[in-house]
Amino acid sequence: MSTPAIEVRGLRREFRASQGLFAAPRRVVAVDDVSFSVPAGSVLGVVGESGCGKTTLARMILGLMEPSAGEVLVDGKRLDGMDRRARARLIQPVFQDPFSSLNPRRRVSDIIAMPLVAQSNVTTSEVNRRVAESLERVGLSTEQGTRFPSQLSGGQRQRVAIARALVLRPRIVVCDEPTSALDVSVQAQILNLLAELRRDLGLTYLFISHNLAVVEHVASEVAVMYLGRIVEKRESEALFRDPRHPYTRALLDSVLTPEPGLGVPDVGLGDIMPDPANIPPGCRFHPRCPACFAPCAATTPRITSLEDGLVECHLAG
Amino acid sequence: MSALLEIDDLRVTFGGTAAVRGISLTVEKGETHCLVGESGCGKSVTSLAVMGLLAKGGKREAARLSFAGEDIREYDEKRMSRLRGDRMAMIFQEPMTSLNPAYTVGSQMTEVLRRHRGTPRAQAVDRAVELLTRVGITAPGLRLGQFPHQLSGGLRQRVMIAMALMCDPELLIADEPTTALDVTVQAQILRLLAELQKDLGLGILLITHDLGIVARVADRVSVMYAGEVVESAPTAELFRAPRHPYTRGLLSCVPVPGKVKRGDPLGSIPGVVPRIPPGFSGCGFRDRCSFAEAACAGPLPRRDVGPAHEALCILPEGVPA
Repeated sequence: MSTPAIEVRGLRREFRASQGLFAAPRRVVAVDDVSFSVPAGSVLGVVGESGCGKTTLARMILGLMEPSAGEVLVDGKRLDGMDRRARARLIQPVFQDPFSSLNPRRRVSDIIAMPLVAQSNVTTSEVNRRVAESLERVGLSTEQGTRFPSQLSGGQRQRVAIARALVLRPRIVVCDEPTSALDVSVQAQILNLLAELRRDLGLTYLFISHNLAVVEHVASEVAVMYLGRIVEKRESEALFRDPRHPYTRALLDSVLTPEPGLGVPDVGLGDIMPDPANIPPGCRFHPRCPACFAPCAATTPRITSLEDGLVECHLAG
Repeated sequence: MSALLEIDDLRVTFGGTAAVRGISLTVEKGETHCLVGESGCGKSVTSLAVMGLLAKGGKREAARLSFAGEDIREYDEKRMSRLRGDRMAMIFQEPMTSLNPAYTVGSQMTEVLRRHRGTPRAQAVDRAVELLTRVGITAPGLRLGQFPHQLSGGLRQRVMIAMALMCDPELLIADEPTTALDVTVQAQILRLLAELQKDLGLGILLITHDLGIVARVADRVSVMYAGEVVESAPTAELFRAPRHPYTRGLLSCVPVPGKVKRGDPLGSIPGVVPRIPPGFSGCGFRDRCSFAEAACAGPLPRRDVGPAHEALCILPEGVPA
């Protein structure tokens, strides 16, 4: 079997949230013992509500944040102890907001060149050649390369962010809500571009989004996160056809597809909000779960393996 | 009987720039009219113009702007402010920025009633408790004493809605009320709005960029592009037979489960939303439109293209179905 592009084992991250001057800080577990692997060339979609830990997970996989426990392997190599430059050649990010992720005082071509320049062993002519190549790949003109980010539209800025991510020819790109800040007509352009790049360059994506319709469209496999745990991870098609975790079902039910006459669905989650600083005992989803029964409040469900993935629920066991 | 809100040929300019270029729409009592469009199309400016809340430098002109049969064009600030928050209420996208962080939920909610109606404090508190319960907040007494930052996003938006309802408004203008919320909470909030509308007979002008929301909650839809309503129709009709090239393009951009195969490219509209320079005439969409021809630079006809269905386009029947 070939080496997975990303492998994560027992990953955990805690934060200490201050409660004021004299109170003891609270411990917030943002990612709690998460393990999975992403085969090379595939797209793992990660979905969940805000605060479920999806961005924390992405930051640890990018090496931008130290895990409290567990390890990340990228292309079979451990991330901790890896040289920053070597890491940058393997894995690159594309963030949500192209308005804040680009340096406003640098020209587009300089922004795209930055990762190459930081490698410090690339000649100027090589840098220029690769920047031009990157610009062309994402559909920007040479002239647009001479502009400042403020002179570009949101979609064009996101193309710059993608060009910067690709300039080192990485194997893996972590996309954290890459289209959430964009208009729908532009979102479609960027999603189509990402799909084309993956096909042409054989990239692997970790694709984080709160938009399930988008994830269904791009992902080959989907992980559903709830309060720091992956509660269901399945092949995309199977997950959307037949969700096994009640939380996944609720998420799918709450998607408003543009089909008139159906009205707004009753998701049945009640109005208790998940709080990562106060994780309920037993199954962490049980206070909101419409299918909750006796064991849910008492015991933590075990991971059940399915033919096409896994689910963490008492009902599935 | 006249409509609750009637807008005819509304124009808004900032300096020389036209943000809204002659839009007309009506909201009937008990009806949800959705104004849908991408950022910069002028949908929020439209709502602010109706409420008389345009930023400094904004100029409003209209052939008609009436609320419950009364012409509000010539209302001065004092009369407008008496209307706002009373018979005409508004909720915004980000409840954190539209609630005052320095006052408790209770004092902000009761202020509305005390100011508009001179209601004594105790009675105003009773009304606040009643409405917080109505919008599905458990322990309303506790919430009244809390500050906005102590509430989750979903709770804050419920508080905003409850606050908007304090004076029994007839018209509710909701500008992207669920955009900052998780999908699960979004569904709850939209259900709540629909329920309240049924019970109270509210007219709602809902501004959104999300065609999913439009499909599920609107009675009527107006699609805005570059400061104009390019197409307007009853919801089912618009989704069944979109006639304007922009509406058609916009609908093809949204991934629909089961409709677009994974891996197949989504439909997309080439180019970007233009900035409309002063003195611009003709169709604002023509640079991105595959049906564009020379006549698109001239004045455009607004045609009937179906039952209660209008499109602003040179194509006589709109885009062929």
